[in-house]
This record gives sequence, structure tokens and C-alpha cells, in this order.
Amino acid sequence: MKRYSQYSTNVSDFSDVPFWKKAGTMDLVYVSYGIFIVILVIVSYILGAFNLLPFDPHEINIKLLMAPPKTAGHILGTDFMGRDILSRLIIGIQAYFLPGLLAIAIALVIGTCFGILAGYWGGGFDTAITYINNLLNSFPRLVLILLMVAAFKPDIYYIMVIVGITNVPVVASLIKGKIQFLKQKYFIEAATALGLKNRIIIFKHILWHNCRSVLIIQATLGMAEAILMETSLSYLGFGVQEPIPSWGNMVLSGANYFMQGKFWPSTAPALAILFTIMGFHLLGDGLNNILEMKRSK
Amino acid sequence: MKRLPNILLLIFFFAFIMMLPQAEAGLKTDGNPDGGTLNYGEYGRPATLDPITSNDMISLRISELVFNGLVGIDEKQEIVPELAERSVISDNGRIYTFYLRKDITWHPREGEEPMPFTADDVIFTYNIMMHPKTITPLKVRYEFIKTVTKIDDYTVRVSLKRPILNALAKFSFKIIPKHGPENPKFLTREDPFVHKPIGTGPYMLKSITADREIILEANDNYFKGRPHIDKFVVRPFADQNIMSQALMFNAIDMIVLVNHRDIPQIQGDKRFVLQPYNALSYSFFGYNMRNPLLVDKRVRKAFTYAVNRQEMLSSFFQDQGTIISGPFAPGSWAYNLDVQPLPYDPQKGIELLNEAGFVKGNDGIMEKDGEKLSLSLKVPIEKESEAVKRVVLAFKNYLNKIGVDIKGEFKEWLSWKEDVFLNHDFDIIFASWVFDDSADISSLFHSSEIGPWKNNFGAYSNPEVDSLIVESKLTLDHEKRRTINRKLHAIVADENPYTFLWTLTNYAAFNKKLRHVAIHPYNFFPYADDWFIPASEQH
Repeated sequence: MKRYSQYSTNVSDFSDVPFWKKAGTMDLVYVSYGIFIVILVIVSYILGAFNLLPFDPHEINIKLLMAPPKTAGHILGTDFMGRDILSRLIIGIQAYFLPGLLAIAIALVIGTCFGILAGYWGGGFDTAITYINNLLNSFPRLVLILLMVAAFKPDIYYIMVIVGITNVPVVASLIKGKIQFLKQKYFIEAATALGLKNRIIIFKHILWHNCRSVLIIQATLGMAEAILMETSLSYLGFGVQEPIPSWGNMVLSGANYFMQGKFWPSTAPALAILFTIMGFHLLGDGLNNILEMKRSK
Repeated sequence: MKRLPNILLLIFFFAFIMMLPQAEAGLKTDGNPDGGTLNYGEYGRPATLDPITSNDMISLRISELVFNGLVGIDEKQEIVPELAERSVISDNGRIYTFYLRKDITWHPREGEEPMPFTADDVIFTYNIMMHPKTITPLKVRYEFIKTVTKIDDYTVRVSLKRPILNALAKFSFKIIPKHGPENPKFLTREDPFVHKPIGTGPYMLKSITADREIILEANDNYFKGRPHIDKFVVRPFADQNIMSQALMFNAIDMIVLVNHRDIPQIQGDKRFVLQPYNALSYSFFGYNMRNPLLVDKRVRKAFTYAVNRQEMLSSFFQDQGTIISGPFAPGSWAYNLDVQPLPYDPQKGIELLNEAGFVKGNDGIMEKDGEKLSLSLKVPIEKESEAVKRVVLAFKNYLNKIGVDIKGEFKEWLSWKEDVFLNHDFDIIFASWVFDDSADISSLFHSSEIGPWKNNFGAYSNPEVDSLIVESKLTLDHEKRRTINRKLHAIVADENPYTFLWTLTNYAAFNKKLRHVAIHPYNFFPYADDWFIPASEQH
């Protein structure tokens, strides 16, 4: 079945060609690296959830503090409480996975609703939502989070709710822009003329067929952002709290020993953060190029 | 926290006269060279620089360089005359007469002639300190003074409400000039004086740079002779790792308090001296006796048995400290060395818990009448708290092993304080106390000190302890007081309202070019005017 899209002239030429054949090589490399990271994250999450770890990540061993890698079976060494770093790295993803998804869900759902209201109906909605977005944008996110932590307690879910809410304007403006662009297209006009319900036009023709790539890209970037946010908060001491491991608090506690030559407790989680965030960003970037066809062969 | 100058003074003076050999202001006669700059690093910035409104150790150390008291403490911990050249004590120790030196001038303000130091300044300092609108931790310490009167320009008479032990040592509070503060009635942190103080001390505040470095210059007219080192620069750091690295790369010459984890690195370096000094302080786990589970002293003792304090001290603090058994700081005269710290014996801990009626439940947690022995441990968040984190996590681990469930809860500093001192919403906390020489634990364990913002946060109450504390405060006989305090120590150690942990040895690290360095355990800098740098190393 053929459908109308903004690329109406070449629909017939390209619609049967699978998208990976249209994509640039680098984009495919990016995306496959990103997917590899995503799989690694999911596998780590499952391993952690079923407790399939080399060591108990909470087991304190005061006799073996800051042991270098490969000591007594600890592949990545032990941290400042003698706990196995590899196990803590694997289970550390638990700190991000569900909270990160929560942040993404909040940003995408609320952002999309705002975007539709502002973009499709415009007028008063547009003005109101622009005000809300400006309000959210003008508030420093870190300050908001620190206020939250001071008022309640340092809980990663509270923090991620704020991260999600402060991401709403980004998603909202993307969706709004996209809809305003699509609204001028003939297929939407045609759909309206055919008497299709707004619900169907919005969800099927606009969101599903034309915005899903934007949302997927935002989701991958959102995950990267959630991890980064937790890391910076951990460095201030307000992120996930001991004894629950997160990569951020592992870097923090290891950093104190970095200058003394004991680099492994901070380097391992720092590299994990680096490669994971890079993975999510490249995935987002690659998907953006492929799905939006910014670049073609 | 208690923050009072601790003076290790044990001698009790009845009535005596101190004479000072006449010394002319001018150069020192010890033959050591003048010149050079000392940069020292501090972790954090002082809020104020005057001796009255400040309540942090950083400003305390700076005011030691800028100001003097009526009396001072020498390196042998004996009282020596400073601003007062002699003092006479009479009338059963109720009247103190101070004869002031006549050759002392205040640091000159820019473009002004230096003003002489007189009795008016002493009276002014006392009045401003005691004014109800002045917020100062010193007020409580000097409530024993009834009046301060001026006899003539260089004579001051102080009468006490009651004779007290070691009163003379307490007159080491710093004197500020009458022409200093803008508001002559009371001193607040808004007064420009607190940021640009003038004193009589060996160093004058020159300026504060944009980087918040505080520059102090030698006072040529210092009455003990011009200090040897030309300039002291106080450099604030926001990170202790960076401060240690700054020392290693010679960006600073001294760290007043070295982080314990950096000791091995500095110890191994021949360029630096690591000098220990003992502060009267200790760390502890405090229990909230409002929780019915913690009322039984056997439970609290079981916890202490379960904790391997030696292992923590060795692994986390490189053995730089002493394990303690009771409520007084070791090194204080009140500490009872006959009371041994409880040994590490988890089996004994389990037995005590069983005795108190707890049995192990299905999940391995002890329970009594269906109530689980599950407690919250509240810890304030600080960035540099990884030593605290270690102790707290290890404590949790030790107690888990005897079947006690500890829920660690990290809280932001202010809300932690509110939970502990105002709402009393906690079961266990980890904290430390710093003491002065008076070995006064009344605010920690007397039952009248239970209440919002009072120091007996755990609501510990024992009539015997109460009466011993009062008795110890009232007695004038040092030996008797010692006996009472030893008894007090034994009782509190047995009752275990805290799990007493240890007192840590503080270390200062400095470059070898600094010579003749003597450090006071609390005020740190009183002898800094005698420090010097050899001419060849002054660059």
C-alpha cells in the first residue's frame, strides 16, 4: 500500500527499498554501536535483576580495600569498602534503567501532548504552552533538583521526575514544529476534507507515520541525559546514595584516590558512563540521519 | 558542636603574681632570620575574621594571628602574660586584677596613626561579647563573670559570680579595639569590622584578593618583637585532593589539617614534615533513647560489642587514632584510663540481645514480641564524606551480622540537623564532639539538656549521672573533680548511650623550609611569630 508523505514525488521509487539500504555507512556503524550498547544495558539489567553476578555487590571486605584489578578473582578490583567493582558496575545500571525510562516517558507523553495542542490547534493553546515552556526553560534544572532533594530526600525517582518535566519543552517544541510543517501538506488537508476524525489524523497520520522517528531519537537522548544528570548530582553527593551503587557515586568515591595512583575504582565507572552515553548519542544521531533521511546515498 | 578553645591546663592558681621581663617592641632577639612568605591551605572559607562572631576553625586560626588575649598559653601549656603584664587574684578567687602593658598599639588603619591599647578596649570587648544582640559562641563560656571595671587606663578589675577552677586560663579571649566596630553596642556579621579586623597580634590583615586569599603582613610594632615571616597567605580550597596536590607541587607551604587518606603520600616525601597534634575530640554512634527498642542498655552494649573498632581505625584511618571507652576526650585529665573499651565480640553481642529478649526471626533479623530490630541511621551528606561513608557502611555491615537491620539514610545537612536536634526523628546518628579543657559533659548527658536544639539529642537520662555532673561543676578541688569525673566516665561507659569510637590524631603538613614550627592543638598559630624560613630558602 502506498501512502502520501511529504516526499510524495519519490514515494514510488523508494518506498520498497528497505531503509538500511538507503542509509550512509557511518550511520549504520553508529546505529549498530548504539544498539550494541542498548543490548548490553538490557542484558546488564537482567543480570542484575536475577542477581547473576560474579560477587555480591554489597559484600563489604575490610581486608581488601582498593585492591587492584585481578586480585582474588575481582576482575576490575575492589572499591573503598572492598566491594567488587565489576558486580557494582553491572548492578549500577539498575539505578538508571527504570528511573531513566520514567524520565523519558514523562518527557515524551507530556511533551507530545503539549506539542499537539500547540501545533495542531494553535491559538490560545500555543500561547499558553509557550508560556509554560518558557517558564520551565528559565528555571535552572540543577537548582530545581537540589531544592527537591533538600525538601524531600535524595531519591533517584524524584530526580528523574524533574529531569522528565524539564525535558518537556524540548519535545513539545519539536513536535509543534513538525506538526506546523505537516499541516500545510496536502495529505493532511485531504484527510480533513475526507472527514477523518482529528484523533485519527493526529495519532495515525501525524504521530505514527511522521513523528515516531523524532520520538525514538528523543528517547535515546533522554536516557543519555538521565545518566549524565545522575552522575553530576552524585558528584555533588546528591545522587543515588550508598550502599546502592550507581556509576556516578562510584566515580565520586573512587575519585578521592585517583591522585594516589589508585585509578581503577573511578576509571571503570567513568569509562562505562563514557561508552554508554556515547552509544545513546550515536544511536540517536544515526537514527536521526536514517529515519529522517537527512543524508542519503 | 562545641567550639570552645581547649586549653590543656591542669594547674590551679590560688593567688599569685606573674612578672614579665621587660621587653622592648622591635626585632626579636633569637637571631633567626626575618623574611619569606608562608602560604597555607584551608579547606573552605571563613565566614568572618573577627574573634567574636566567628564559629569555625578557619577563622579561629586567623584570629590567633591577628589578635591577643589578656593571657596566653605557652608551648608547655602554661599560662603566660600577653596583653596583661601581670595579674593579681584575691578575695577567694573572686576578684582578678589585670595590669595591662603600656607599650601596645593597635594595627594602624590606612593613613591613620596607630592607637594605644588601653583598659577601655578590654571593657569594650567584654560588653560587646555579652550584649544580647551579639551572636557568639563565647557568651556561655563567660557567664561566670559578674562585672568588668576600669580602675585606670591600664588596670582592669574582673569580679566573678563564683570562684571557678582555672579561671585565669579563660581570660585568653581575644581583645578587639574600641575604635574597631562601627556599632559600639553589639557586633553582627554585617559590621565591616568582621571582614577587616584590626588587632594587636603579630600579623595585620592587609587585603583579601578576588580569589578570596587572605593576605596577612608582619606587624613591625608587635610587642613580642616583629614576627620572622614577612607574610602569611591563607588560600582557600574547595577540594581536599587538590589542596594536597597543591602542597606536593609547592603551590602552598602548609596544610593545617591533612586528610587521613593523604597521610601515606606525604609521609613518603622527604620535602615535607608531618606534625601530629591532638585535638580533644571523638567520634561516636549516638542512640535515641526515645525508641523503646534502644532503652535497654544491653541492646546498646550488644551493638558496641558487634562493632570492630580496631579494624575500622586501621583500615580507614591508617591507625592514626585511639579507641576510647567513655564520654571524655582521651588526653583530657578527666578521662578514666582504667575503663577499657569493650572488645570486639559479636557472639557476646548476640548473647546480650538474647538476654534482652530478642530472638532471631526467619529472615535472620532479631525480633522481640513480633517487633523487628530494625533501626534508621541518619547521616548528613557532605561532599568529602567518604571517610564517614566508610564508617557508616561498615557499622551497618557489623550489625547485620548479629541480626540487626540498619537502614542508612543520607540527608542534606540542614534537614539532618533538624531531624536530630529538633524533631528527634532518628534511631542512630554518627557524629563527633570537640571539647575544651573543662571536660564539661553536662550539655551532652544531663537530663536538663533534653529538648529542641539541645545537645542531649538522645534523651539520655540518669539521676546518678545528673548529680555527678552537678557535683563536678561545683567543686573547686581539682583532685576531687577528677575523682568524680572518673566515676562519671565509668558509669556512662557502662550505660553506653553512645558507641564511643575513637579520637583521631590531627596532622599538619608543611614544607621543610619552615623552621621552629610549634603548633597549638586547638588554636594552632599562637607561636607562629617565632616560626622562620632560613634566608637561603626564602626565594
